[in-house]
Amino acid sequence: MKPVSIDLSHKIAQETVMKNLIPLLLSSAALVACQPQTDGKSDADKSDDTPAFASTYTPQESSDVLLRNATLIDGVSNEERMGDLLVSGGKIGFGGSGEIPEGVTELDLDGRYVTPGIIDIHSHLGNYPSPGVQAHGDGNEVTSPITSEVYAEHGVWPQDPGFDEALQGGVTTLHVLPGSANLFGGRGVTLRNVPSRTVQGMKFPDAPYTLKMACGENPKRVYGSKGGPGSRMGNVAGYRKNWIKAASYKAKRDKGGDYDRDLQLETLADVLDGKILVNMHCYRADEMVQILDIAKEFDYKVTTFHHAVEAYKIGDILAENDTCAAMWADWGAFKMESFDYINENVPFVHAAGACAMIHSDDQNNIQRLNQEVAKTWADGNRAGLDISKAEAWKWLSTNPAKALGILEETGTLEAGKRADLVIWDGDPFSTYARPETVMVDGAVLFDRATGLKPKSDFRLGYADLSEGVK
Amino acid sequence: MRTFLLAVSALALSTPGFAQTLFVDDATVVAANGTQSKTDIIVVDGVIERRGARLSAPDGATTITGGWVTPGLFAPMSSLGMTDISSSGPGNDVSSESSPTNVSEHAADSFNPRSVHIANVRQNGITHAVIAPRSGSGSIFAGTGAVVSLTGEFDSVIDPEAFVVVDMGETGTVRAGGSRAAAMSQLRAAIEDAEGFFKRYADSSDGGDVLSRQDARAFSRAVRGDIPLLVRVNRAADIMRLIDLQAENRSLDIIIVGGAESWEVADEIAAANIRVIFDPLKNLPDSFESVGSRLDNVAFLEDAGVDYAISNLGALGVTKPATLAQHAGAAVVEGLRWDQAFSAISSVPASWFGVGETSIVVWDGDPLEVTSAPIAMSINGEDQSMTSRQKALRDRYNPTKEDDRAYKYR
Repeated sequence: MKPVSIDLSHKIAQETVMKNLIPLLLSSAALVACQPQTDGKSDADKSDDTPAFASTYTPQESSDVLLRNATLIDGVSNEERMGDLLVSGGKIGFGGSGEIPEGVTELDLDGRYVTPGIIDIHSHLGNYPSPGVQAHGDGNEVTSPITSEVYAEHGVWPQDPGFDEALQGGVTTLHVLPGSANLFGGRGVTLRNVPSRTVQGMKFPDAPYTLKMACGENPKRVYGSKGGPGSRMGNVAGYRKNWIKAASYKAKRDKGGDYDRDLQLETLADVLDGKILVNMHCYRADEMVQILDIAKEFDYKVTTFHHAVEAYKIGDILAENDTCAAMWADWGAFKMESFDYINENVPFVHAAGACAMIHSDDQNNIQRLNQEVAKTWADGNRAGLDISKAEAWKWLSTNPAKALGILEETGTLEAGKRADLVIWDGDPFSTYARPETVMVDGAVLFDRATGLKPKSDFRLGYADLSEGVK
Repeated sequence: MRTFLLAVSALALSTPGFAQTLFVDDATVVAANGTQSKTDIIVVDGVIERRGARLSAPDGATTITGGWVTPGLFAPMSSLGMTDISSSGPGNDVSSESSPTNVSEHAADSFNPRSVHIANVRQNGITHAVIAPRSGSGSIFAGTGAVVSLTGEFDSVIDPEAFVVVDMGETGTVRAGGSRAAAMSQLRAAIEDAEGFFKRYADSSDGGDVLSRQDARAFSRAVRGDIPLLVRVNRAADIMRLIDLQAENRSLDIIIVGGAESWEVADEIAAANIRVIFDPLKNLPDSFESVGSRLDNVAFLEDAGVDYAISNLGALGVTKPATLAQHAGAAVVEGLRWDQAFSAISSVPASWFGVGETSIVVWDGDPLEVTSAPIAMSINGEDQSMTSRQKALRDRYNPTKEDDRAYKYR
């Protein structure tokens, strides 16, 4: 009996492998042999000096495919257009028209939309994962207002089922940051939204680190009775004191020779060196402008304000300072500093010439950021703006890619970029549209038709989620 | 479509509402049961005056081509008018953390119809809402909820004692002192307290087991089944315990709020005539009591013949009902017919809570589309303002407006 059962399990294992391979192609019509698309070296190997916790991300195997008759929103043009898109070697071969390699698999999309993969610049997937039990609260180091020494990636659980659901919503890259309890919260990390056993296997190769900072109510509430800061005045004093320390640490480090390495100041000094991008949680308009003054005082740049509920009041100032704002479509009134929320925040900031984008900060909304953009886009046009869908799409991929320092790699459907894209079953600005196929580096990681989707370890053994209606 | 939207936007900014006669040419009219028909329609001062295939615009009427005319939306769960900001502290009346009372606390007494969120949320086509308290520490009972209209007027509480709310599941275990068994024991004991009100509180000074006199009296109507008992619960096993409870107390009229795992026991829920308020967008195993959350929960409920209403039960706080239509649209993607999804955010919950008021919303497109918005609306024939604090802020900072004055003078 025993040998039989062993044989059987081998057979099942093999069938599973086959099952998993087939949907990597777009449809049965698109079946061709898989070709290994890299020489087996990880993207991360490109870097000379291997830093700690280096990316081990390697794209999954992909097949070359020509998507025929697509409605393309490419993240660059302000107009959508009909065209073909070639995925070749995990990259965009061309988006629109170009030379078609002989024998490439073709898939007729019959006018369906193809867009860049969505990039969420503000997520806590992995560091506040599902289930949201206390033991999973790894996103805020609530022990001191200054924790620039911590890294979000050390709190990321790659088995968060939220990653899988976000992928099914078209999210191909996401930025996971520490929470907003602290003035200096720690380093954020940019991840490929790919199934992986480790966070290193998700890290976007060579993406710059970020520093999460926070304004306003949260730090003063959390530390008001724990030694401060207890007011917005204390918040500002806290930033300045630590930038002074960082400047002196940087001076020592620049001089070379012996110095005591300090993880906390190292992060801040890297900001002063322009290597780390500042991402700051800030709601109020007046407060954001105070922060821009601090950045001038200490000669660093605020790349992006997050939440920025009042950004619409200072769109011109954000534009002058080349600082982006990552916003919600319609969230507000959950605290005093979000009381002045309006549904036109994103389009108004965009209209002022500043770099605007959507963000989720939420494990549910990350699954339908396209709808969040659709809402705010429609409200902006109702208020008198004239923004096309293709232009508004930049709030979903182009601008977050720019803000994260990865626009050369992803965020648009330009030739040579990573083939991170979504094929939609309808107009992505509609409530009723859903991603049909999601590719990361040209590899199909989600495909509705074949049922291909990642499933977290956590999902195993519970009532079957793949089963349809009884 | 672009021209239409722009034309409508000019209208919305200058002359909001039904202040004048509206002629909706080639309108999609949605009936109370959610079915659609095409007709022309004339609305005068918030009341539909005529409908017909080939009407022409009355003199001075504003013409809208291709709009939708529907009943107003009903939010089956909200904290509208009970808080200005969702943070804790004075001004947030959603729960009472350290009060000695529970069931006898009426959300209607906390309700402020002048809250800016009433008008903010109304701009999304919501004309009526349930307002429900949440439990504080020390009791599984949240209190007594109300049904309100979103006119913002002082007479907008339609039913101040519409239902009783109890928190079971994980929240209930915390309130009850640490376990589901404790929460269930207290709920059963409270039912006995209310049932035996006269014997325990009026005819003797012994009192009840878990409820004080005024709370037991307040709970009586729900125990008799005169008003529904709303129970916040998600886990399938917890739902089964509720079904047992209902079998032991046939008069209870239970409405589940949450029901993340109701798909697992949809047939049992239907057989017990228990109704469900749920969120079609809930699909994450965000707690151990909702590990079975799935987007097609709704399809199971519909198949089993469960009576359900759709709500946004996720993030957002007090302004949650604003996205009600988006959540209903998600149910369409999961297989509901459009009329079923629309009814689940309008006529179905309205009938549950006995709202007989009529309401009309004229939209610039399919109301379940995230890109659509109301142009005009009325409640009980009364024209509703299409302005709000949000829109006032929008207008002050609108980049398309030429205005040299300092912002505070705009």
